[in-house]
Amino acid sequence: MKRFIPFAVLALAATPLLAGDIHGKVEAHGVRNSADAVVYVDAIAGKTFAPPAEHVLMDQKNMEFIPHVLPVLAGTTVDFLNSDALLHNVFSPDACADRMNLGTWPQGQKRSFTVKKPCFAALLCKVHPEMEGFLAVLPTPYFAVTSAAGAYEIKDVPNGTYTVKVWHPTLKPAQQSVTVNGATEANFTIHK
Amino acid sequence: MRTRGPRLALLAFAAGSMLMVFSVPSAQAIPAFARKYATSCQTCHVGFPKLNPFGEAFRLNGYRMPNQTEDQVKIKPVSLGAEAYKRMWPKAIYPSSLPGQVPLAMNVKMASVYDSSLDDSGRTITHNDFQFPQEVNLFAGGTLGDYIGFLGELTYGENPDGSTETEIERIHLQADSFIGPEHLVNLKVGKFAPDLEDGFNEMWLSTDSGVDTLFTFNPIGLHGGTGLSEEDAGITLPGVVKGVELYGVGAHRFFYTVGVANGLTPPTTSSSKDFYARADYKFGGMALDGDTTGVTLPPENWRERSLRVGVLGYHGSGKGADFALTDENGADFNVEDRTYTRAGVYASWYFDDLNVFGVAMTGRDRLDTFDADGALVNSASHRFSTWFVQGDYVILPPLQASLRYENVTPPSSANAPSIRALDASLSYFFYANVKGMLEYRRDLHESKNYSLNTILRFAF
Repeated sequence: MKRFIPFAVLALAATPLLAGDIHGKVEAHGVRNSADAVVYVDAIAGKTFAPPAEHVLMDQKNMEFIPHVLPVLAGTTVDFLNSDALLHNVFSPDACADRMNLGTWPQGQKRSFTVKKPCFAALLCKVHPEMEGFLAVLPTPYFAVTSAAGAYEIKDVPNGTYTVKVWHPTLKPAQQSVTVNGATEANFTIHK
Repeated sequence: MRTRGPRLALLAFAAGSMLMVFSVPSAQAIPAFARKYATSCQTCHVGFPKLNPFGEAFRLNGYRMPNQTEDQVKIKPVSLGAEAYKRMWPKAIYPSSLPGQVPLAMNVKMASVYDSSLDDSGRTITHNDFQFPQEVNLFAGGTLGDYIGFLGELTYGENPDGSTETEIERIHLQADSFIGPEHLVNLKVGKFAPDLEDGFNEMWLSTDSGVDTLFTFNPIGLHGGTGLSEEDAGITLPGVVKGVELYGVGAHRFFYTVGVANGLTPPTTSSSKDFYARADYKFGGMALDGDTTGVTLPPENWRERSLRVGVLGYHGSGKGADFALTDENGADFNVEDRTYTRAGVYASWYFDDLNVFGVAMTGRDRLDTFDADGALVNSASHRFSTWFVQGDYVILPPLQASLRYENVTPPSSANAPSIRALDASLSYFFYANVKGMLEYRRDLHESKNYSLNTILRFAF
């Protein structure tokens, strides 16, 4: 039995048992459905997170931003792909995204942009004014986007107590303190 | 004869003002397309009705997006035959489709019309009329299957005297790229604004008033034309024709049109038709078929740096169409415009927010004059010339300004003064489909004659 103890310690050190998840439902009032709310763990004091080396993709296809809301960790580079056989543009009117304007580019090409600080930035296309997307640049890598039913799940969150926030493109934000201990449920209601 | 000048100018200006008041300029904004593609008006318009380069490509492409994919059409069409039926043809009817919803749209125009002019005694005559509404247009536009497109407009107009007019302003069917390379051969049949004049026809103009000196100069007169017509005589350059037109885009940037149309002659008196043609080329900017290969365009889709230049011509016969005239002594005559020919050059220059365009055209009319007994009194050719230049500027996307100068020099035999007018307008887009305009038009020959119109338009 003794020889199994070091393996047990190693298994614990590998942390899955120390990490849980936050799941639940966001009930969005005043909109057609509860999709596109970003649920995320707010900045954790004393902790920083290195952005991923891999770029994250935001597509422009059939004259829509896909996904409509893209959450990323601050410092992540986002590639904007044009999948349509017409010109697209991406710009943001928001100062936190440096009011970036990536110009226009044709089908199959990408342009990249990195938002360094946490920010909720609208993404627009000057060529097609009806197009709208959002970039949620977040302070931690613990985030999820709700389904149309409002369900979400943030995986691999270390056990602890955090401020969990909800952001939505058109509704008021909400937040609550959540103590994660294994699978943890947190439900939110957001409205105009 | 010089003393005729001010009076003729007054008549000309009054006619022009009347045209502004009474005519029903078409107002092209087709929200049916916005619905079909779930896209903004601004995808195709600098501000309706003026098309941006992409809108022009959309129009020339038979009201389809260049390189359109199925998923771009957000309202799925109703199939009138499975795709595989194409292989069955001609043993089965070629499959087509219907727009997924009734492709209708409305445009409403309300105008507060104020005009001021001097009469013969030097007295100022003013009119101030709330024309609410001035016109309502019902549009239908869409595609049928792979190659057919259609566009129609039914206009209801209210006149200041309380009378109303309802007119099919245009309705046409077009077959796009049905033979040969894509975009090269397209056929249009019906009642339509000929592609002879896209860009400066009132259908696509940013100003509310059309280019009267180009479209409504009346060349009929005992010694040639002297002024503007109170109604669209259709002799200078027709705004709308009933005819058949072949047009296309080659090598992305070359454009041509050839057309045959009913002319002035009543079909009951002659079988002759009018003919027209145009050829032009666009340097720089988005290509006429929407191609952007090798071109870097700014994200502001009304901006580009380009130059489009071309030539246009129109020829027809007015044999059998009599115009009754009375000379200074009260004698009655009939005048026939036996043959008329128009030749012009066209240019449109885009420099970012500025678009300057214009046309210079010369017209020749062989006028036969008959006395009351039908005897030929005179037959002579008369030549007039006309030109205009207009600058449109996007100050801010919702705020746009236009300035136009127009000029007609009547035939020298008519001994009439030139007709010169200045048109300045400011448009403000409250929304992409709600537009307010302030338009000022001044007769530069009789500088006290002017009109000031406030216009509200919306489309849905």
